[in-house]
Amino acid sequence: MTVTTAPPVPLARRVLPLVMLSPAVLVTLAIVFLPMVQALWMSLHDYVLFRPKNFDWVGLKNFISAWNDPVFWTSLRHTVIWIAITVPAQMLLGLATALLLNQNFPWRGLARALVIIPWALPSVVIALMWVWIYDSNYGVLNDLLLRANLIKTSIPWLADPDTALYAIILTLTWQGFPFFAVMILAGLQSIPKSYYEAASIDGASQFRQFWHITLPGLSGVLMTATLLRVIWVANSIDVIFVMTGGGPGYATYTLPLYAFIKARTGLDYGYGSALAVSFTLLLLGFVILYLRRAGRNIA
Amino acid sequence: MTGFNIKTTVAAALLAGTALAGGAQAQEVNFWYHFDNADNPMSALVEKFEAENPGITVNAENVPWNSYYDQLYTSIVAGTGPDAALVKLNAQPRLIEMEALEPLDAWLKDWDGTAEIQDNLLTLTASADGTHYYLPVQYVVLYLYYRTDMFAELGLTPPTTCDEFRDAAKALTRDTDGDGQPDVYGFGFRGGKGGHDHWASLTLSREGVGFGPGELTSEAGVAGTQFVVDLFQKDKVFPPSAPNDGFKEIIGAFQGGTTAMTIHHIGSSADMVAALGDKVSAVPVPECGGGRWTSFGDESTAVFSAAQDKDAAWKWISFLSSPGNNAEFNKATGQLPVTKTDSASWDGHEKRFVEATVNSLPFANFLPNTSETADFANTVWPVAMQRALIGEITAQEMNAEIEVLYND
Repeated sequence: MTVTTAPPVPLARRVLPLVMLSPAVLVTLAIVFLPMVQALWMSLHDYVLFRPKNFDWVGLKNFISAWNDPVFWTSLRHTVIWIAITVPAQMLLGLATALLLNQNFPWRGLARALVIIPWALPSVVIALMWVWIYDSNYGVLNDLLLRANLIKTSIPWLADPDTALYAIILTLTWQGFPFFAVMILAGLQSIPKSYYEAASIDGASQFRQFWHITLPGLSGVLMTATLLRVIWVANSIDVIFVMTGGGPGYATYTLPLYAFIKARTGLDYGYGSALAVSFTLLLLGFVILYLRRAGRNIA
Repeated sequence: MTGFNIKTTVAAALLAGTALAGGAQAQEVNFWYHFDNADNPMSALVEKFEAENPGITVNAENVPWNSYYDQLYTSIVAGTGPDAALVKLNAQPRLIEMEALEPLDAWLKDWDGTAEIQDNLLTLTASADGTHYYLPVQYVVLYLYYRTDMFAELGLTPPTTCDEFRDAAKALTRDTDGDGQPDVYGFGFRGGKGGHDHWASLTLSREGVGFGPGELTSEAGVAGTQFVVDLFQKDKVFPPSAPNDGFKEIIGAFQGGTTAMTIHHIGSSADMVAALGDKVSAVPVPECGGGRWTSFGDESTAVFSAAQDKDAAWKWISFLSSPGNNAEFNKATGQLPVTKTDSASWDGHEKRFVEATVNSLPFANFLPNTSETADFANTVWPVAMQRALIGEITAQEMNAEIEVLYND
C-alpha cells in the first residue's frame, strides 16, 4: 500500500492571488479604514483645529459631553424622524412609479428615462431649486396654495421650525424615489409572467396577484434597497446644509450635520469625531443587517 | 580623497544649480480671495503685477465666501494653505494662535506705500501686542438703507433713534395689493450667518453694553435683544423668513420692494441703484438706548508663515494696497480704497452712500479682537438669534449664551 499525498501547491501560486488583491486592499485600507481609525482616535482627544499643538488624550470625555448635550438628543430625534419618514415615503412612491412604468404604454422608454432625473441631479442643485420653491416671497408653492385659497398668508416653510424639517424631507423624498423605482422595476421584470397567467386562470383579482406574487417577488429587492437607503439617507447632509444649514435654531439639525458643523465650522474635531463615531455605532445595526444579506447573496 | 572631493564639489555645484534654478522658478504666490461679483478684476491685476515683477507667478483663487474660513483653517492645518489671502480682523486672533501669520513689520518699515495707507487703519488692524500681520486693502462701514419713495409716500423721515425706527418700520409694514396680507415689511433683518451686525447695531449701542462680563446680561443688554425679538414677534415688521435670511435674501427683498429698510454697506450700493435708481438712499444706523454702534467692515491681506516665497507674497499684497491698484480692486468689490491718493480721487460710488459711510465712521466698531469672535459669528450668534426669534429661548437666554462664550 502506498500513501498518496496531494502534491504541494507551489508557493508562487499560493501567494499570487494575495499579491494581485493587495493593491485593492491597500487602497481600501488607506482611504476607508485609515480615516475611520483616525476619527476614532480623534474622538478620544481634545482636538481643536486652531490649536493644532494641543492634542490631549481625554478618554471618553467627548462621548460623555455628547450624552449630556441637549443638542445631541435634539439632533438624534430629528435623525430618527428624518429616516422614518423619508425612506418609507421614497419606497412607496418608488413602488407606485415602478408599477406604473411596468405597464405597457406609448413612450414608455422615455418615461423610464425621465423618472431618473431627480436622482441624477446634483444634491446642491436640488437643494437650491427647492429653496426657491419654498421661498415665502417668491416661491411657487406658496403662490399655488394662495391661489387655491388653501392658505391665507405665505408660509415661510424653511424659516418656521414646525415645517422646516418636513419641507426638507419632502425634497429628499423627491430626490430619492427614482432609486427605489429603478430597483423595483428591475425586480418586477424578474418575476415570471407565467405566475400571473396561472393566477388569473385561477381567478385571482389584481390585488391578490399583487399581494401574493408581486410583493413576495420583490421582497429581496425591497429589503436590500431599503437597508441601503436607510444608511444613505441617515448620512445625507448636503441637502439640509444647503437648504437651512441646520436652522432655524436647531430645527433641522441631524446627527451627521451636527458632527459636520462642530468639526468644520466650529473646528472642534475631537467633539465632532465623537458625534460621528456615536452615530456610526447607532447605524451599525443596519450595516450588519445589510452585510449579512449581501454576504448571503454572494454565498 | 581627491576623487571624493571632486565628487562632492560636483554634487554640491549641481545641487546649488538646481536650487538656483528652482529658486528662480519657485517664485510663485498662491493667493485666496472671495468676490461675489462675476466681473472680477483679479486677472487684470495679476497680469499687471506679473508684467511689473517678472519671475513671479500669482495664482489667484476665488474661494466661495460661505466656506471661506472653514477652507482656510483646515487647509492651513493640512499644510495646503495659500501663501497669502484676503482676511478679516475677526479671524486674526485665531490665525495668530495657529501661528499661521507672518509679521509684516520689517517690510512695512521699508515700504513707500506705508505712509499712503489711511490714518488709523494700520493701528486698527494691528494685533493685540502691536505687531502688524495685516495689510488693509479695503473697508466699509454698515449703514441703514431706506426706500425714499416709501418714506415720502407715508410722510416719514429716516429714523435717527430706535423708537423712530420702530414706528417707521410699523408704518411701512403694510398691504399694498389689498389681499389682506402685508406684502411690504418695514425692515429686512438678517437672521442667518452674518446677521450679527444688524443685532449689534440695535443692542451694543446701548449704554454699558458690550462683550465684557455681565454687560450683555444686564438690563440694557437684554433690552437690546428683546427689542429685536419684539420687532419680529410682536410688531411683525420683518419678513416671516427673517430667521433664515442671509445676505442674498435681505438684498433681494430690498431690491424687490419686499422690505423698506435694511442694514448693509456701500458694497451693495451699485446694485441697489441699478435696481431702484433714486428710490434708495442711506443714513447712519439709528441711536438706540443712548448710543450708536455700527460695524466696521474690514478686509486686509496677510502673508502666511508657511508661504513658499514670503518676499514674493509680500510684493503681491503690497501691490494690491498701492495707489491705483487699490482703486481698481475696490471698484470691483464696491468697497472703499485704503490709500490716501485713491480716497482723494474716489468716484466709485454715488455721493449719498459715501456720505452715509463717512457719517457712520465716528461710531464704527469692531467685534472683540479675541479667538471667541469667530465662534460668535459663525455658530453661537446665528443659532441663538434664530432660536430667540422663533421663541425657543428668551432674549435673556440668548444673551447668556454669548456671555458664556466670551466670559467663561
